[in-house]
Amino acid sequence: MPLIELKHLTKTFKGKTQTVEALRDINLEINQGDIYGIIGMSGAGKSTLVRCINFLERPTSGSVIIDGKDLSTLSQKELRQLRQQVSMIFQHFNLLQQRDVRGNIAFAMEIAGKKKAEIDRRIDELLEIVGLTDRQHNYPSQLSGGQQQRVAIARALATNPKIILCDEATSALDPTTTTSILNLLREINRTLGITIVIITHEMSVVESICSHVAIIDDGALAEVGTVEQVFSQPKSKAAKKLIFRKAGADTGVMGDRMIRIVFEGTASNEPYIASLILECHVSVNIMYADTRDVGGKTFGQMILQLPEDHLQQDKIIYYLRNKGLRVEEVSSDGH
Amino acid sequence: MAIEKMVPLMLGGIRDTMYMTVVSTLFAYLLGFPLAILLVLTAPKGLRPHALVYRVLDAVVNIFRSIPFLILMILVIPLTRLIAGKAYGSTATIVPLVIAAAPYVARMIESSLLEVDPGVIEAAQSMGASIPAIILKVIIPEAKTSLIVGATISSGTILGYSAMSGAIGGGGLGQIAISYGYNRYQTDVLLVTVVLLVILMQIIQAIGMYISRKTDKRIRE
Repeated sequence: MPLIELKHLTKTFKGKTQTVEALRDINLEINQGDIYGIIGMSGAGKSTLVRCINFLERPTSGSVIIDGKDLSTLSQKELRQLRQQVSMIFQHFNLLQQRDVRGNIAFAMEIAGKKKAEIDRRIDELLEIVGLTDRQHNYPSQLSGGQQQRVAIARALATNPKIILCDEATSALDPTTTTSILNLLREINRTLGITIVIITHEMSVVESICSHVAIIDDGALAEVGTVEQVFSQPKSKAAKKLIFRKAGADTGVMGDRMIRIVFEGTASNEPYIASLILECHVSVNIMYADTRDVGGKTFGQMILQLPEDHLQQDKIIYYLRNKGLRVEEVSSDGH
Repeated sequence: MAIEKMVPLMLGGIRDTMYMTVVSTLFAYLLGFPLAILLVLTAPKGLRPHALVYRVLDAVVNIFRSIPFLILMILVIPLTRLIAGKAYGSTATIVPLVIAAAPYVARMIESSLLEVDPGVIEAAQSMGASIPAIILKVIIPEAKTSLIVGATISSGTILGYSAMSGAIGGGGLGQIAISYGYNRYQTDVLLVTVVLLVILMQIIQAIGMYISRKTDKRIRE
């Protein structure tokens, strides 16, 4: 049974002059232990979707089922109790400015009605996990963005949740800090088994941490699957747009015979093109390349212009296919 | 006026003015605080939107705020008699002072509470905080600095009102200024009351700002 199940979820915002369909028939299953990325351009409905998961936004229709419980059937009190199991972290951290680090972490447990002694003990553990023990008496205004997000993560972990929802949690951070926050989230997922849902507009976030990905476009899910599936063979237009963001651009491909090599998870430490040139004694022209490394495997594509000689052309194609790469003929317009 | 007469007169005036200001401010906050919280909660984007309650409270506050204080004092004389037993003197003046100040205070508090980052309130909701918990543990503590600044401004305004009340039977420095300085042309008395009122205002302002700065954790050390 999936831990989070969204069924035919829709959300409509009624304004005075117009209604906006923020979400249209969303169906999604997220299993225990997944790190699930939900990616889309801004305005695609990501933030509304994540707020529907903990009912900060009530869906217009459809259901959200968490751990077997349909959220629409819960009373206000039951919903508040459930939210202690579904923590959330935010783009702008949303810490209490008038409380220090300890006070902010304590807040989540005060809400949950925990005893003072228990709160103090748990804070020490959490500070250890997020590595902020030496900053425990600082106020948010004295911390960097990355440190503030660590406090938010500690606060999110305080009530031993099953799920952590991340709403653009790294979008306000620089690349180095982003990496360290993502590493922390991965660590939490591995060691504590907490399911993580990540809302983002950054491909790199999904690549580096997610096991599964859903692509949301204009309020609807365009594509859902494991990160490997979706990234190697994107089917929908929205997915292609996100993954081969530059592929539509003019690559200056001219005449002659060209091939497209598709990398679908081959070992990234093998230098295919270099060994092709060395072993076959041929030259190729790299017209376009967009590959990315996901956990030691290469995904993406490359377009090569081949030499005039037909024998050499066949040799190159044979060599690459033999290496397990998918090779396709390309017409001169790049498709 | 001779100094030996002036000093006790002024000391009495200061005492009465402080008495009216402090007691009126306290009562104005007792009425204004719940009013402000209701306004914030029931506002269209509040935690418990309620169009009817919000519109009624909003209108009541606006009506009372638009009546000039001097006129309000005259309007509520029957009520003042009912509560204080008489319509003149320092204690009686507290009644119209509270009625005039409560809506003003409510607006000050409302604007302070609305300054709280909606993201922090959303974070509290995402943790399962109830509305009372959000008010007591998030909104009020986060708005603390702004609330203290607001209280400073409010008590200054009430001090000004209390002096105005001297015109129609209120007590304190305002009454001294009018009965000696205006009615009996004793300019020296008038000037001394003005100087004392300015000093009182400065003291209130200085104390308020000191407390608000001292308690604000947003400032880097």
